[in-house]
Amino acid sequence: MGDLFQFSSSTSLGKLTGRRAQDLEELLELIRTCPDSSIFYHTFSAFRKMREVQVPYNNDFAIWISQNLAEEALPEKLTAIELAEHNTIASLRKRIVTIIEDYKKEAPEAFARTAAKPFYLCDAVRIVYLTDKFAYNLKSFREALDSISVDSIYFHFIESRLHTQLQTDDFSRWIDESLDMPELAAKIRNIDMHIYTLEGLRRKIASLIDGHT
Amino acid sequence: MTLPSLFDYRDVVGKNVVEELTILASYVGNRSIKMVNSTAVGGGVAEMLHRVVPLLNELGIQTTWEVIKGEAEFFDITKSFHNALQGKEEYFRKETFDTYLHYNELNYKDMTFEEDLIVIHDPQPAALIHWNPNRKNKWVWRCHIDLSHPNQQLWHFLKTYVDQYDAAIFSSPLFSPELAIPQYQFYPTIDPLADKNKELGRDYVDSVLDKYGIPRDKPLVTQISRYDPWKDPVGVIQAYKLARKYVDCRLLLVGDKAADDPEAEKILQMVKEAAGDDPDIHIIYLTKSIASEINAFQRASDIVLQKSLREGFALTVSEALWKRRPVIGSAVGGIPAQIIHGYTGVLVHSVEGASLQIRGLLNQPDVAEKLGKNGHQRVKDEFLITQNLKRYLLLLLTLERPNESTIFLD
Repeated sequence: MGDLFQFSSSTSLGKLTGRRAQDLEELLELIRTCPDSSIFYHTFSAFRKMREVQVPYNNDFAIWISQNLAEEALPEKLTAIELAEHNTIASLRKRIVTIIEDYKKEAPEAFARTAAKPFYLCDAVRIVYLTDKFAYNLKSFREALDSISVDSIYFHFIESRLHTQLQTDDFSRWIDESLDMPELAAKIRNIDMHIYTLEGLRRKIASLIDGHT
Repeated sequence: MTLPSLFDYRDVVGKNVVEELTILASYVGNRSIKMVNSTAVGGGVAEMLHRVVPLLNELGIQTTWEVIKGEAEFFDITKSFHNALQGKEEYFRKETFDTYLHYNELNYKDMTFEEDLIVIHDPQPAALIHWNPNRKNKWVWRCHIDLSHPNQQLWHFLKTYVDQYDAAIFSSPLFSPELAIPQYQFYPTIDPLADKNKELGRDYVDSVLDKYGIPRDKPLVTQISRYDPWKDPVGVIQAYKLARKYVDCRLLLVGDKAADDPEAEKILQMVKEAAGDDPDIHIIYLTKSIASEINAFQRASDIVLQKSLREGFALTVSEALWKRRPVIGSAVGGIPAQIIHGYTGVLVHSVEGASLQIRGLLNQPDVAEKLGKNGHQRVKDEFLITQNLKRYLLLLLTLERPNESTIFLD
């Protein structure tokens, strides 16, 4: 029997900062200077919401640029950032800033454009909490998977790496290390989040477990 | 009629969502809230409190609700405050401010504020905090109105009271002014089990359409809004007429008449003139709308429009999205928060844009269905009453740890 896995979940309360950007230069300044929690709100937290309604962006910066500055290449570049590859907000912020700075050299005219609607910088207080769901082997994990919330799935699959500082999700790590099932763990670890809603992700993980012999 | 309990929401939001609310409530523990506003009936705030207060109690948060009292002169003043805070030009005399403060002081003397969290809704009772300088509990000002362009004289006066709060809550970053205190975002929410939003049988929907003489022979495009120039009912008719050259459909306009709005009759006349003698345009003018009938109109519609020129949050959009209707909304006020263009509905900026979208959606039912489905999910994630409950629980947790950006509960 492996170690006990207690499912956690997370949620956040949005805060308003009063800060805004009207063009790319101002947006860049906001991204450089805002708290980590603001970067979290506009990336990790936004992605969780966009996934559910199949919006093909993974951050608020990209969607604002696309819809208000009629720029498409920059939102694509920002969306191509794989959030799951970033286990600190600092590294994510650095990546976003680099992409926008590089784009300034590539398309300086985009920085001269003013948006009709400003980008409102928000912030968030994150709350991470333990749930009453547990798993102690693959069977109980599979059963719990059907009943945990999508917030819990998102937390363990994407967000928790900000705490563990690892490059992997909690599910595959536990299945690998505690249940000693490296093949199944690798399949779960390699799921492409960009093609699933969170309910779709739940079904995908379930099907990989069900298909595991 | 028995009000729905928390248990009843499991079927609409999901069992695990309600379970997680109870878990969060257990982390909050034995806490109390007092809500204070200015009216027990009528208006969105009272409607929301009627549902939120019992549900918070069910979650174990002892929540009470008190309504401030005042004579007509006080409510005349607060009505003028409401309009001025949303931008109306007006000069206020010192006596007006004194009268406002007098009634706030009378209410303060009549009330107790022992709860852990006091939530003061809107400007009418905002000055109550002034007489509680040594308080040990937390006070939060929940502003439901658009304060982005307030009358400066009035705002200068009110801000001295707002600044005394521990935090403020606004519906959107669009509506918030600059403040020194922390500001939280609580989206307005709808109740999926209220008459206006609950599931309806096909027979009832048909009977409502029969009652108002609306045949079901053609696709139905609907706007449900007060007859008010800012809702642009004439623009809706123009968009319909442009689209009608290419797609066969009916237009349904449903609106109620605000008792205090002398302009409504005039607007209605303009709407009738714009409609002309087109038998496929149905104009329904209700003196008092029946929630379940509004629900039926929305459910019977193939497209719901909200072509406003200026808006507050426009929860009518969430109501229609919840019913999986494709919504065409103007990119004003709170509508873009609900409609992510092309994914949970479509945003338009003109009569022509609205007309093109009517044509596009009626000719592409698969696209319309996808927008409706995603729109339903968006409302489920952000704009349901269960989210409002969750935000109050998170607020209680957050106010106790004002300097933490991540809170770990174990």
